[in-house]
Amino acid sequence: MTTHHHRPESEIALRVKAIESLLVEKGIVDPAALDTIIEHYEHQVGPHVGAQIVAKAWVDPDFKRRLLADGTGAIAELGLTGFSSEHMIVVANTATVHNLIVCTLCSCYPWAILGLPPTWYKSLAYRSRAVIEPRSVLAEFGLVLPDTVEVCVWDSNADLRYLVLPERPDGAEGLSEEALAALVTRNAMIGTAKVEPPTSPTPIAA
Amino acid sequence: MTIETSNQCMTAAAAKALLQQGLSCQVNSDLPPQFQVGDLVRARVVHPATYTRLPRYVRGKVGTVMQDHGVYVFPDTVGQLLATKPQHVYSVRFPAQALWGPAAPASDALYLDLFDDHLEGP
Repeated sequence: MTTHHHRPESEIALRVKAIESLLVEKGIVDPAALDTIIEHYEHQVGPHVGAQIVAKAWVDPDFKRRLLADGTGAIAELGLTGFSSEHMIVVANTATVHNLIVCTLCSCYPWAILGLPPTWYKSLAYRSRAVIEPRSVLAEFGLVLPDTVEVCVWDSNADLRYLVLPERPDGAEGLSEEALAALVTRNAMIGTAKVEPPTSPTPIAA
Repeated sequence: MTIETSNQCMTAAAAKALLQQGLSCQVNSDLPPQFQVGDLVRARVVHPATYTRLPRYVRGKVGTVMQDHGVYVFPDTVGQLLATKPQHVYSVRFPAQALWGPAAPASDALYLDLFDDHLEGP
């Protein structure tokens, strides 16, 4: 009988396992606490939370006003605050202002609102280039902004966390709040994309 | 003065509570701010060998205080388990050209959250 060899686990996976078993054996970490944290980020929080906030701001002008004046308070109204989103600032994109979020010192990110950050957000390239050449970075994401638009970069270097309120796309007038939320992407809430208008289903026959 | 930390193992219930409630770095304090909205401020030219939230690229640059976020513990000292040293944190706007020179677009800007201890008069 042939023995099947599985591909060996990556070095980082092995290292994490080794550290975890050491911490558990020494009684420093309770595996149940780890499972709770992993389950939370795998199944409960993610960009859908931020999308819900954005969609509400699009349909409710009073909520939008509160959200921009006091992000923390307005998000708390929806019960959507949490770890690493304790102090929230929401910045609105308009026809003349485009906002972009970065953390040059590490990878600070509104975890309770957007989930865990994407790998590129944590990369040295993004963290260093987003501040000095944001327009080139945005162009690489496929977003070319005219000179008439002011680019504002927000470095989350302290304890405040940022969320971009993207512009509501044209062609989304009749949509429900839930359908609007489905249009909102993670990158649009970091500022590396715009929210695209809804696409009509392709007709089967002309 | 040093900050004592607990070595107690976190329970699943404590983890859940932390994820839901978060961990506030803000301090209820009537400490007066060193700067006002609209003030021009300069990020200090310091190069601490220890932990700091003052990015190197902004040191020595002049910006405008746009908002006072209130009083927060100071990560530069908390990070060394020294004093919490609560102080005001401000949103400070730096024109892109002030940071990167005349080739940067005149309209663009960068916002940082800086503590009293990071700032001085222009």
